[in-house]
Amino acid sequence: MTDMTASGASAPVRKHATSLLAQDARTKRRNAAETRFKIYGLIAVGIGLTFLAVLLSSIVYNGVRGFQQTFVTLEVELLAAKLDKKGERNIDDIKKVSTFGYAPLIDTAMQNAVAKIGYDSPFEKAKEYRPLLSASVPAQVRNYVIANPDMIGETVEFRVLAASRVDGYLKGRVTRDSIARDKNIDAAHLDITDALHDEGVLKKTFNWDFVTGADASESRAEQAGIGVSMIGSFFMMLVVLGLSLPIGVAASIYLEEFAPQNRFTDLIEVNISNLAAVPSIVFGILGLAMFIQFAHLPQSAPLVGGLVLTLMTLPTIIISTRASLKAVPPSIRDAALGVGASKMQTVFHHVLPLAAPGILTGTIIGLAQALGETAPLLLIGMVGFIASNYPEGLVDGFVSPNSAMPAQIFEWAKRADPAYYERAWAGIIILLLFLVTMNAIAIILRRRFERRW
Amino acid sequence: MFDTERAKRDVGMNDIKVAARNVQVYYGDNHAIKDVDVDIEDKTVTAFIGPSGCGKSTFLRCLNRMNDTIDVARIEGEIRLDGEDIYDAKVDPVQLRAKVGMVFQKPNPFPKSIYDNVAYGPRIHGLAKTKADLDVIVEKSLRRGAIWDEVKDRLSEPGTGLSGGQQQRLCIARAVATEPEVLLMDEPCSALDPIATSQVEDLIDELRTNYSVVIVTHSMQQAARVSQKTAFFHLGNLVEFGETGQIFTNPQDPRTESYISGRIG
Ligand SMILES: Nc1ncnc2c1ncn2[C@@H]1O[C@H](COP(=O)(O)OP(=O)(O)O)[C@@H](O)[C@H]1O
Ligand SMILES: [Mg+2]
Repeated sequence: MTDMTASGASAPVRKHATSLLAQDARTKRRNAAETRFKIYGLIAVGIGLTFLAVLLSSIVYNGVRGFQQTFVTLEVELLAAKLDKKGERNIDDIKKVSTFGYAPLIDTAMQNAVAKIGYDSPFEKAKEYRPLLSASVPAQVRNYVIANPDMIGETVEFRVLAASRVDGYLKGRVTRDSIARDKNIDAAHLDITDALHDEGVLKKTFNWDFVTGADASESRAEQAGIGVSMIGSFFMMLVVLGLSLPIGVAASIYLEEFAPQNRFTDLIEVNISNLAAVPSIVFGILGLAMFIQFAHLPQSAPLVGGLVLTLMTLPTIIISTRASLKAVPPSIRDAALGVGASKMQTVFHHVLPLAAPGILTGTIIGLAQALGETAPLLLIGMVGFIASNYPEGLVDGFVSPNSAMPAQIFEWAKRADPAYYERAWAGIIILLLFLVTMNAIAIILRRRFERRW
Repeated sequence: MFDTERAKRDVGMNDIKVAARNVQVYYGDNHAIKDVDVDIEDKTVTAFIGPSGCGKSTFLRCLNRMNDTIDVARIEGEIRLDGEDIYDAKVDPVQLRAKVGMVFQKPNPFPKSIYDNVAYGPRIHGLAKTKADLDVIVEKSLRRGAIWDEVKDRLSEPGTGLSGGQQQRLCIARAVATEPEVLLMDEPCSALDPIATSQVEDLIDELRTNYSVVIVTHSMQQAARVSQKTAFFHLGNLVEFGETGQIFTNPQDPRTESYISGRIG
């Protein structure tokens, strides 16, 4: 550098700013670019977080109301003259009385309840109170009587569902304006609701039946629960886990560790990657053709749903398993082979344990995807309204018609009654809780595996 | 220039352990080893030297059939261990590798405990009937690996937590635990500092009493220090093979001479 002057031809060119304390133009530009980039990044993260916050708060805001339900405490006199005319307490005779036979008793009980709090009711006929209660109440009382025939003649206290409109009124979903043209309920009913609510006869409480219950008919939103479709999802996940994990891991190990590198395995590889990008509805119609129309497996069964979702999950599991097998350093394989381990021993003793955390994560991501999948289930008949009966036992859980949580949510969102819309949001909260739990399990397991020596 | 003191001792009095004849290795179209003949003696340290990429590792990996794991590699010729062709169709490479152990360039302990690292080989080969037998083997191997004193109090700790030199000696202990007859070492000291290197070199000299050792090294000083026989490879050819003292002091081939005097490399 310094001896450049020795030539005498040109003066030394100073390439750098004289003082380190002052930034030259180039440095300033570079720093500005860096600052700009940081700001872009922060904006991107901020947008993402905002969306997340909006999403979560709207889910919680809309969903929590779905977990609450309005119940009425009702004292029903189980009149022997109506329920067991012969007076023999013969269970067959008692069963002959349909829910229509119970309805008047309940109307009367409701009338009495209103009278008891000293409310000056405009209604004269007991029947006029009927819109206050859920249409499911007669069946509830009838089931009780059939189970306890000796209670006939007594007055029994029941906790019964209020009608969906009454529930909606307490939650702010139904207003006096909105019922103006509603034939099912009048303002007078809402006045009674207010009075009963003030006296504590009618109360809004947490509704476990939503979590454990079955789907109900379109007109009985207050009765519907997500429990049965949750069971459907559970059995489907058992099928998916039981099939896709062993098949996926075996296929990946074979492809990654044993298969020769040739055109054929390249072809397989490309096809697996392509399968991962196939829309899920395609798997649905494939399942319909293969499992139901060809193999004659039962329609709407979680078994079939599980098979379809297995097809869908396999590529995800294979891709992530292969990636985690690839990530195991080759020196470990050399080490094992070098002390005389066979290929299989090398894989099972050394490679697989190291790849396990990655495989596990991939599997749980695959399962989570499958748990949230709706479209293919609709094609094989696992639609929401099917989930109206609990399966009887383990085998039945796999083969009897059922739905799954996302299909149930879709079904509810589709129904006209806004009461169902509220339940769809609540269902989404439950679905998200499952996904969060699964991810937590994945993280815990991964930690365990990583620490194990 | 080279310290060939050790090398001068007892040369050429041992049986032939491994005999290679007309060995060719191809990686696809790349002819990596060209017509190599070598006799490796029992209870001797044989060094493979040569410029990078000349095929030392490739040839070494032929001796325990580690090249079988590379799809594109194709081996021709004959390699006999105690007179038996190791590329015979009847030979199971897994059995061969129990007899011909290997230590790699980068220390590669299993991410398991120090004990399990050493015990793994004996376990899969059924060398120990009881836990006590296994304990004996592990201790003996770690002593032979010259690392017993450093790790005896922490056998259950992960082998990956040791220093580089300790890891390499652990790998040597792991290799000797299966009672091999030949020990192959591919640049075992290239990842180690000078102190760890000299520890491993001392160890190699000791191992010679029991094993036939083949070591690949890019350091001519190291070859001179630890080996009795030296093979010089160049562009896939075995240029010169002979007693270490003679190769370093009086090379026959001009290519060998230029290499050891630093003109090719
Ligand atoms: N796994 C491999 N696949 C293809 N070519 C290889 C492989 N390993 C080594 N080679 C080639 O074989 C030649 C010899 O390599 P190598 O035996 O590793 O040399 P050295 O150990 O003497 O440095 C080189 O040309 C190298 O590119
Ligand atoms: Mg090499």
